[in-house]
Amino acid sequence: MTTPIAAVANCPSAPLIPPSQHPWAEVIHRLEAGGSMLPDTPENLMQIIGIYKAYAVPMDFYWRDLLYIAEQVFLDPLPAFKYFPSQEYLERPNAYAGEQSKLRLWRGGEQAHPELLAFMARGETTAMPKLLHHLWHDRINMEFAEACAQAMLWHQAMGGRFNDYLESEAYRANADRAIKAYFRRNPLMLGLYQAFPEMFLEKVKQLSYYANLGLFWEVMAPVFFEMSDIYDEGGFQGVPDAMNFLVKGIFAVAGRPIYHHVFIDGECIEIIPKAEGFTWLYEAALPYVEAVFYRTSPFRGTKSYNAQAGQVPSHQADFHYGILYADVYPVGSAGIPPTLLMQDMVHFLPPYLKELYKQHRRGEQDQLIQLGITFQRSMYNVTSAVIQALRAALLYPLDDTDPEHLLANRRFFEGQMDRFLRPEARLGAIQNQDYR
Amino acid sequence: MAPPLLLLLLALPLAGALLVFALPQGDATRVRTAAALTAGAQLLFTLLCWRLPPADLHLAWVPKLGLELELGLDGLSLPLQLLVALLSTMAILAAPANQSRPRLFFALLLATNLGVSGAFLARNALLFVLAFELVLIPTTLLVAIWGGERRAGAAIRFLVYGSVSGLSLLAAVLALGWFNANGFGFGFDQLAAADLSPTAQGWILALLLLGFGLKLPIVPLHGWQPFTYAQAPTPVVMLLGGAVSKLGAYGLLRFAVGFLPDAWAAWSPWIAIAGAVSAVYGALNAIAQSDIRRLMAYSSLGHMGLLVLALAAATPMSLQGAVAQILAHGLIVALLFACVGLIERKTGTTAIPELSGLLNPLRGLPFTLGMLLLALMAAAGIPGLAAFPAELLVFEGSWTVFPKATLVSLIASGFTAVYAVRLFNRVGFGRLDNGRAHWPATGWSERAPALVLTLLVIAAGLWPTALTGWSGSATAALALRSQPLLSPSAPTVAIVPELLPS
Repeated sequence: MTTPIAAVANCPSAPLIPPSQHPWAEVIHRLEAGGSMLPDTPENLMQIIGIYKAYAVPMDFYWRDLLYIAEQVFLDPLPAFKYFPSQEYLERPNAYAGEQSKLRLWRGGEQAHPELLAFMARGETTAMPKLLHHLWHDRINMEFAEACAQAMLWHQAMGGRFNDYLESEAYRANADRAIKAYFRRNPLMLGLYQAFPEMFLEKVKQLSYYANLGLFWEVMAPVFFEMSDIYDEGGFQGVPDAMNFLVKGIFAVAGRPIYHHVFIDGECIEIIPKAEGFTWLYEAALPYVEAVFYRTSPFRGTKSYNAQAGQVPSHQADFHYGILYADVYPVGSAGIPPTLLMQDMVHFLPPYLKELYKQHRRGEQDQLIQLGITFQRSMYNVTSAVIQALRAALLYPLDDTDPEHLLANRRFFEGQMDRFLRPEARLGAIQNQDYR
Repeated sequence: MAPPLLLLLLALPLAGALLVFALPQGDATRVRTAAALTAGAQLLFTLLCWRLPPADLHLAWVPKLGLELELGLDGLSLPLQLLVALLSTMAILAAPANQSRPRLFFALLLATNLGVSGAFLARNALLFVLAFELVLIPTTLLVAIWGGERRAGAAIRFLVYGSVSGLSLLAAVLALGWFNANGFGFGFDQLAAADLSPTAQGWILALLLLGFGLKLPIVPLHGWQPFTYAQAPTPVVMLLGGAVSKLGAYGLLRFAVGFLPDAWAAWSPWIAIAGAVSAVYGALNAIAQSDIRRLMAYSSLGHMGLLVLALAAATPMSLQGAVAQILAHGLIVALLFACVGLIERKTGTTAIPELSGLLNPLRGLPFTLGMLLLALMAAAGIPGLAAFPAELLVFEGSWTVFPKATLVSLIASGFTAVYAVRLFNRVGFGRLDNGRAHWPATGWSERAPALVLTLLVIAAGLWPTALTGWSGSATAALALRSQPLLSPSAPTVAIVPELLPS
């Protein structure tokens, strides 16, 4: 591990600013040296790349189905088949993969990943009609993706203009048009809409976040696939390389439009038009990281939260139940329902991760937990990439020679690290390789 | 002369102890297997004795002292002999595969078995005392050598209390034999027909209460128990709690109720109060404990209080309940300690504040916690498990004689659920600490003893006759009081059926 202090010591010239006195000074110095919050070790690199691959395959399903629900299922009052995306959506070309893409992030194909299709056909059990797979819960857990989108809706104001637009008259008018079009042959639902317009509008807002998240993940899946391929080819030399790849990817797709279109009887109704200028970085990526990595909400599990006793913060901004704080043991005590995502990822683990998990703790018996902790490590790396991207976008380069600029960067990093001072944060845990 | 088949029940553990001691050094698994086979053979032979009762054995040993080799099995001793053989087997299997100094350890366990078996089989009071005293030596050594960090103190305390218990018992037995106006002798038949003055009966009963009360134990004679239970290794505490302490209950039933009925009847109100106090004291202390072993120790103390209450009432139903309680509690306490032993072996602690989330399905000990939950439910007297029929008989049998003491004990019994829920909530639920949860899962071979005991606890709950059927006629013969509020037709039927041929 290259510590910033060592980096400074190796520097021929004296440091331009004094060392940080922050409790996470070691991590801050590492960030200032262009590193990640995750220590740079070969095993960490292997873990995070392996889990990106395992995450990207179900993610390839999540984004397709989220867009299918937002665009096609829409306000279906009995959406029993919303987790059965149409063939059109399974074959929908990823805008960032395949020959047709204008910005090709992954060298692979643009349709659903072959491993995903193979799993959808057989699951953990055997080949059988997909309805039986669904009822047996032998499938991708879309509930996880929905929980993420709902967390984004619930936490609302997290930067960007997306949430403000949902409160605008323009959005209301577009949603009204879409609702009336969708129910034009259903007088009962139209009557209900007349009686409870806000309820329907709230549901459309939720679906707008489905579209938002779907478009976000449409980018991330090929990014992760490409990182896995690069690693397999021996391309990454360390954790900072992987983080910098993410930073570059973030900037490459930062301007990707975020929108919400609904297709009703072949007609496209633009609830959030591309022309509004919402972008991937500010209206999707940053709110997603804030809502899902940091905040989410306490889930019922074997740990009970008592809001009246102050165990749940009164301000949503103080929520700290995301994966960066989560207890990954499958007790539902914190974080996005970790069991669901872990269960999805376990099907697509690369062989080298399976081998690693066999060597530690209870081997195959508890690989769900081990991969959950790997996922936690990898999300600290993704968060590091977001922090570095924000620093690059808003502040100064790391190699700036102006001490004032470096101090501004320092304050920014320290402000970010303040969020990990609370005891639930796992930043300290991931510094230890034995945290598994 | 009939072949001395009963001697085989003693010869097996004796030969086993010598055999394992002669095995080559170093292979703990082989030593454990040999010891388990010995105890298992004794168990099988005891079952055979149940189906094909052997004749009583009577051989002269030291006639001048009145010491005879008189052995027999009846409705009281057979179920207890089964219990000690079963628990010995399970305790040996519950020992770790890498047990340190295995030859001595398992030899001493078998020697403990020999002593307890000898006491249960004895039909001569001096022989009983000899066996009773024999138990003290190996158990003290087991605690002193393989106990926890404070094993020396625990062993010394256990030895001191045990010595006082043994001496008072010896004095009581000698007095029983010597002051018998019908002639000198220590055979049970002679003592049952003994003619003792009321004063002598009173003094002898006091000595017996001291001797057996220390072994049981009962408040305020329990000073050794929490300390010893906390320090003794798991197999030893399984035997101590499940079988050795039952010598006290058996002794009170056989000697005090059987040989001193008048004194027992006169003193029984005070004994019932002592039982009720023990039940309350044990339960309340169990609630306050922060160590699982100490909690189990106080829980056991509370349950012994119920047992003493039943003995004090001395109605047919209460005495049958007492025997059933001995058996049920023996199974349950052994199961509890087997589970606690597994928890301690994996996590390295039995401190309640240090444990949580053990029900975690992937990194916890869910199977062990499942069995612990069942054991705690059984201890709390949940219907369908072993303790329920026993406690029902105890309470119903004692209610007509000592309603206030029974009511207090009933309330104390309710406290069992409090500490059971508290313990399970803290240890089973909550967050499993990733910093500690490095232990491997329990294997089937480790779980086996607890699993067998779990199945027996369930079976005894579903088929209560397995607990009550042995002793119906034997306890009815010892009963000092009738059951005035019970109709002779209905409830008494429940205590009549017995599995035993006479």
